[in-house]
Amino acid sequence: MTTEATPDAHRPWRRVALRIDHLSKTFPGTRALNDVSLEVEAGTIHCLLGGNGSGKSSLIKVLAGVYQGDPGGTITVDDVSEPADRTTPEWARAAGLHFVHQDLAVFDGLSVAENLAIGRGFPVRRFIGAIRWRTLNRRARDVLDRFQIHVDPKRLLADLRPADHTMVAIARALQDQFLAGDEGILVLDEPTVALPSAEVDVLFSALRQYARAGQTILLVTHRLEEVISIAERVTVLRDGNVVATLDADQFDYDKLVELIVGRALDSEVTDGVDLEGEDLLLEVSNMSVGPLRGVTFGLRRGEVLGVAGLLGSGRTTLLTTLFGLRTMAYGTTKLDGQLVAFAGVDQAMDAGLAFVPENRSDSAFLDMDLRENLSAADVPKYWHRFVLHQRQEAEDARRSVVEFSIKANSVYQPFATLSGGNQQKAVVARWLRRKPRLLLLDEPTQGVDIEARGEIYRLVRKAVAAGTSVIVVTSDFEELARVADRVLVLAHGRIAGELRPPHIDASRITELVLSASASDQAGDGAHEMETSHP
Amino acid sequence: MSLESTPADEALDVDEKGPTGAAPVQRNGQSRLMVNLERFALPGLFAVVLIFFSSWSTTGHLFGTAANFQEVASNYVYIGILTLASLIPLVCGEFDFSVGQNAGFTQIVVATAMARFHVPLPFAVMLAIAFGALVGLNNGNVVARLGVNSLIVTLGTSGILLGIVEWYTNGQSISLGISQSLLNFGSRNYGGIPEVVYLLVIVALVVYYLLEHTPYGRYLTSIGSNARAARLVGLRVNRLKLSAFVISGALAGIAGVLLVAKNGSASPEAGSVTDTLSALAAAYLGATSIRPGRFNVLGAMLAVYFIGFSVAGLAIAGVQSWVSQVFSGGALFVAVVISTLIGRRRSGAT
Repeated sequence: MTTEATPDAHRPWRRVALRIDHLSKTFPGTRALNDVSLEVEAGTIHCLLGGNGSGKSSLIKVLAGVYQGDPGGTITVDDVSEPADRTTPEWARAAGLHFVHQDLAVFDGLSVAENLAIGRGFPVRRFIGAIRWRTLNRRARDVLDRFQIHVDPKRLLADLRPADHTMVAIARALQDQFLAGDEGILVLDEPTVALPSAEVDVLFSALRQYARAGQTILLVTHRLEEVISIAERVTVLRDGNVVATLDADQFDYDKLVELIVGRALDSEVTDGVDLEGEDLLLEVSNMSVGPLRGVTFGLRRGEVLGVAGLLGSGRTTLLTTLFGLRTMAYGTTKLDGQLVAFAGVDQAMDAGLAFVPENRSDSAFLDMDLRENLSAADVPKYWHRFVLHQRQEAEDARRSVVEFSIKANSVYQPFATLSGGNQQKAVVARWLRRKPRLLLLDEPTQGVDIEARGEIYRLVRKAVAAGTSVIVVTSDFEELARVADRVLVLAHGRIAGELRPPHIDASRITELVLSASASDQAGDGAHEMETSHP
Repeated sequence: MSLESTPADEALDVDEKGPTGAAPVQRNGQSRLMVNLERFALPGLFAVVLIFFSSWSTTGHLFGTAANFQEVASNYVYIGILTLASLIPLVCGEFDFSVGQNAGFTQIVVATAMARFHVPLPFAVMLAIAFGALVGLNNGNVVARLGVNSLIVTLGTSGILLGIVEWYTNGQSISLGISQSLLNFGSRNYGGIPEVVYLLVIVALVVYYLLEHTPYGRYLTSIGSNARAARLVGLRVNRLKLSAFVISGALAGIAGVLLVAKNGSASPEAGSVTDTLSALAAAYLGATSIRPGRFNVLGAMLAVYFIGFSVAGLAIAGVQSWVSQVFSGGALFVAVVISTLIGRRRSGAT
């Protein structure tokens, strides 16, 4: 992307920084990687693309020495080979592989400066070993400036926005690279999951700059836009196999989708249905709680209402409050014309509400089996005459597995052994089985591959056709534009705008979100004028 | 399902399909063997222990007798019930470290009620169970409502109960005025099996039913698996945790009654933290078998008697008592290591 020379013209003198040969990885019951071979050239940004369960996480874990590969494979860094079944974290460090994982491994209870120092050691006074705080904070400030993170190094990480957590983790991994001037390889595993698009751009322009300076970067992602915008080469994994390695001029969006999914994708585009005139299922007025300040909106029966906003805009608070997890400080909620105030989740569930939380760590029972995860929200259904009818439960689970396209060997499979996308489908299925009147989705496709995304929304659409109303929060505006009938934009706890068809598209949402967030911060309330309440 | 829904059909055998013509993965063959080895390792080991001590010339003449089996079966009913008491909070991810001392406390309650206040046996027993449940209620309140670490709370409770027992008994045993029918229950056999064993079987069945065949048990398991997710599917996590401690306390009350029945008296030394440790050891050891990775009643009961018969065999063989201590401690150590490894594999295999 950055050079006009054809790959063949520059390839001969480009050094291979990382080579993987015939790497396989077998788990009990599944083969995560099957004879994977790939080369990453020095000074390039190489994307590793694949859906959940494609094996990209396993590949990264073998590289990081967290897992060991099956015997027979080799991993070569800078012409030094290591058998793949003998990788260790120490080896990875010595070989110059630096990782930023999706799980950032940052410490909430420590300051930003301490978080940065944990990667490379604290500056200490001679003999007594006490930390030199001033030096520590000065160094941290340099690093933060370089990475354009505008926070005080003395602040606790817990007090920062999630987006800054990611930035600090990346800065921590990168700082050594530049200080030591070594020719290491930076491996970024889904670094943008928690980042708003503006900050993704900042990160990416920085990555491009590092690559130009000779840095080798292996970027793991499932976001195609990112691959298209940044990758010089891309390797696509599917079901543990390398299906293709392509240069920047050899792929486009459709080609990548086809490679990831293994077939052309069904269009998930939906026409927003204008349901003007129908009665409202939900009426929220002046909801004020946490960051939310006087939020007022309505939701029609069978409508998919999208909510867009930056992190911290109050998106999640909106959903958790509706679901009875928080109590409103002020305001009212009407469901079907009746005033409701849920004191707990069970009351909200009884009223026909369902909530898929943002993180799977809040929804998955990893050490329980698939069947138990599917029926977690309706166990009493199987309780007749002092017996829990577990066979009936398994029968229903099998039906759900088919109906919701969950890939599993059996309904008794431990949930942890399912891929992320399938876990998420099961969580969505758990709620759709209850035929909810109002389904609340918080980032339902975060960390989910493109095929599962399409399936999740197909299932949601099916429920909508059956009468369910949906409020969906996502920071993927392309996705929001595809699935929502109407989009509300939240900024700083207020509804800053509303988009209706035919005006719903990702660029308009992005524009509205960014301008509303920026103007509100500057104390300019002009954009709130766009607010219109149904 | 609609017509284009082939993905689900392909999906169920996704492991076999290799788009690049890769050989189908041989799955489950080895792992199923491993799973069965794991499930039945403890029962197998138990059988080995029984056969070994019965046939070894040094111990066989004493170990392999009905009297010995009755003796061991009867002696470990108390630990068995304590194990069930500690099992219920463990399932929902909490420790009850006070079960042993709670039994020590409730045995004083039941003995005092009969000896000093001449309460009839059934009411004395109910009183002991109620006091045990009250202790559990207190534990549960602090753990569930205030969110304090259960290990620390119940350790504190254990200390307080020990103090109360010492203060009230003045270090003296209560042995006069205890109902004869309770003493008979503790020493008699019915159909060749000690009567107390029937009690254990009944309590174990009830706990098994509760944990495996009621929504309540499923809820506790869910909370133990992921408390935040449990809350988000509508479970009243605090109330359920509280109830787990109450049931645990009530079972400790039954264990206290049993102590009196077995010992014929209530001694301030009986029912202690050592018994809690034995119960936790059995619960953890049990979690390595039958349903590996999950605390389960059958596994726990097997573990109780595995330890019981092993220690008895060692005693008959004439080893010094410290060997038995090391054996019990070692069993806990190994059990925790194995169940941690199983847990890690179950939740880290993606």
